[in-house]
Amino acid sequence: MNSDDDYYSDNDYDGSVGSDDESGSEDDYGFDLTTVEEDGTRRPPYTVLSEEDILSEQREAIDGVVSVLSVDTSTATTLLRFFKWSVSRLHDDWFQDEARVRAKVGLPPSSSNEGVAKASTTCQICFDEYAPDKLRSASCGHFFCQECWQGYLKTGINDGPGCLSMRCPLPDCNSLVPETLIEELVEADELAKYKRFHLRSYVEDNHKVKWCPAPGCCFAVELKSAVPAANEPLDIGCKCGTSFCWSCDQEAHRPVDCETVKKWVLKNSAESENMNWILANSKPCPKCKRPIEKNQGCMHMTCTPPCRFEFCWLCLAPWSEHGERTGGFYSCNRYDANKNAGEYDETEKRRENARNSLERYMHYYERWAAHEKARVKAQEDLKEMSDDKLKRLSECQSTPVSQLKFVTDAWTQIVECRRVIKWTYGYGFYAELSQDRRNFFEFMQGEAELSLDNLHRAAELELAPFLSLDTTPTSSPVPAGLAASPSTASYATSPAGSVSSLYGTTAAFDDFRSKLTGLTAITKHFFDTLVCQLEKGLDSSDNTQVIEAMVRSKTSEKWKI
Amino acid sequence: MAANSQLPRRIIKETQRLLSEPAPGISASPSEDNLRYFNVMILGPTQSPYEGGVYKLELFLPEEYPMAAPKVRFLTKIYHPNIDKLGRICLDILKDKWSPALQIRTVLLSIQALLSAPNPDDPLAEDIAKQWKEDEAKAVATAKEWTRQYAQG
Repeated sequence: MNSDDDYYSDNDYDGSVGSDDESGSEDDYGFDLTTVEEDGTRRPPYTVLSEEDILSEQREAIDGVVSVLSVDTSTATTLLRFFKWSVSRLHDDWFQDEARVRAKVGLPPSSSNEGVAKASTTCQICFDEYAPDKLRSASCGHFFCQECWQGYLKTGINDGPGCLSMRCPLPDCNSLVPETLIEELVEADELAKYKRFHLRSYVEDNHKVKWCPAPGCCFAVELKSAVPAANEPLDIGCKCGTSFCWSCDQEAHRPVDCETVKKWVLKNSAESENMNWILANSKPCPKCKRPIEKNQGCMHMTCTPPCRFEFCWLCLAPWSEHGERTGGFYSCNRYDANKNAGEYDETEKRRENARNSLERYMHYYERWAAHEKARVKAQEDLKEMSDDKLKRLSECQSTPVSQLKFVTDAWTQIVECRRVIKWTYGYGFYAELSQDRRNFFEFMQGEAELSLDNLHRAAELELAPFLSLDTTPTSSPVPAGLAASPSTASYATSPAGSVSSLYGTTAAFDDFRSKLTGLTAITKHFFDTLVCQLEKGLDSSDNTQVIEAMVRSKTSEKWKI
Repeated sequence: MAANSQLPRRIIKETQRLLSEPAPGISASPSEDNLRYFNVMILGPTQSPYEGGVYKLELFLPEEYPMAAPKVRFLTKIYHPNIDKLGRICLDILKDKWSPALQIRTVLLSIQALLSAPNPDDPLAEDIAKQWKEDEAKAVATAKEWTRQYAQG
């Protein structure tokens, strides 16, 4: 099996990688799903295949075998399916002992001429006598009439994918029914079904290809590198928008390993009954105690007037404490800090409960679930953005849609990051870390979380005013020439005192553009660091450097967080 | 009778051969009102616990026959790990190993062979198979007793 992997990847790399690489770097948001090869180039370790792609890959593989083995297409197809589409294994076995492969697969010996009947014979199914031209055999000399063959093949095809290796109807005859016979005799409906099973075999039999697990998705994914070891996560981003893990088919969860994810998901389902009432969808405002349901993505909450209290959804502390001045802005993810805070009325009770595993679990579950909810919302927002809002934004800002890619980039980044940050809570719950490593981990997690919240807030709230101008009748369409100067027309007709009219200036939009782009970049950087460090096992030797680098990149940014 | 008038040649030929050259220990004759329905009798093979028994079975050829297997069932009660109390038979050629090149004759010969060689590793009647594996002598004795009680006279 191992040697197979090697061959396989070698073959693939030689030809097709250059073009993959270019398209890969073009939309290089998300984090780093690429692998770095020895020569230093980066490429995604897989390709997403549509049905047409699968067909063309199948055809390519078959054509290759036809020319290398000098066999006909029907034989090549049969051989490839038998060897589960592994060209290298087929070549190995074939050139070692062709006769053995033929016998094993059920192909006639290369010199065989048993396909054509020489004299009239009785069909062994209907017991009628037929002239030679009405009889067919699977190249083994057991002749049956066309009509009986049709019935046999039809029944086989309707029985399921087993029809891809139908044998001669005579019991104990191992001869495989050739593709050519099926194509000659089977009716259009059944042939279509057969072709469908043939297509599926490329995905379902091939250990380097699998279907995207999303319901209704028709794409398949083909690995270009070796199949990862069990429990080793490999995130796959399907063209349908689903991210899943190659190894366990769960939602993508890199950098956390499959085993941890499995345990975590199981635990969540087991404890979900408890969680349901403890973590109902609302929390009381920490100040006015009115219940609040969080229906927007970011963690910065503002209670409705007259309260207007701003707080962090996770730790319920005032948002003002989540700034650089206090240095405590990531305290919302610091479980230990909370536990030791000791400044609440129920300090004693808290200490006692801290030892309680349920509370510990709740801490992680709550954050995991909150990020999941934010992720789902962000995904919806991203879809809405690409479907509809982007066009509106383009009209309001007189900017072509192609120039607004930074908005969808930001949202894509948000969705990806919500997913990663979510899984770091599953990791945090199970990981057995030294205090140093835990501090390091939580520092990176906190930084990543904070930059993500900033990005999410900017994408959600600060974008909105740029979309609202289209309510004023004269603002659109604005000729491109006029849009360069402050849009006087829309300014004049806007309702007096409307703040939103300020956004009609391109300067404000340019500001927003560079802010969002900057936030996207820094968030990506922080998450790359987090993922990379977790995968390296939080090696504490380069802690300080990583931390310094993160702080530096943060302060050098124009849009400070 | 309308269905019988369109009986495929294959079924007619098989029936003729079953009647003119019956296999040893096996008889099969079509029902008068439905030529796809056969009354079958199999003699318990010698040197098996079923020796001396006469087993009645019913055999039905479905519309798809011979593309689909015939349906066969024991009518006589029998103590056998691959035959359940409703008389249903666990035999590969009656399921996924069916081939249109097999015939009524071959099916009945296979059933006769199954009586000579019970296969408790692939059971249909779990309790009997368990008994067969734990204490074969006792199982064989029970099978003989059932033969005497249900398959004779």
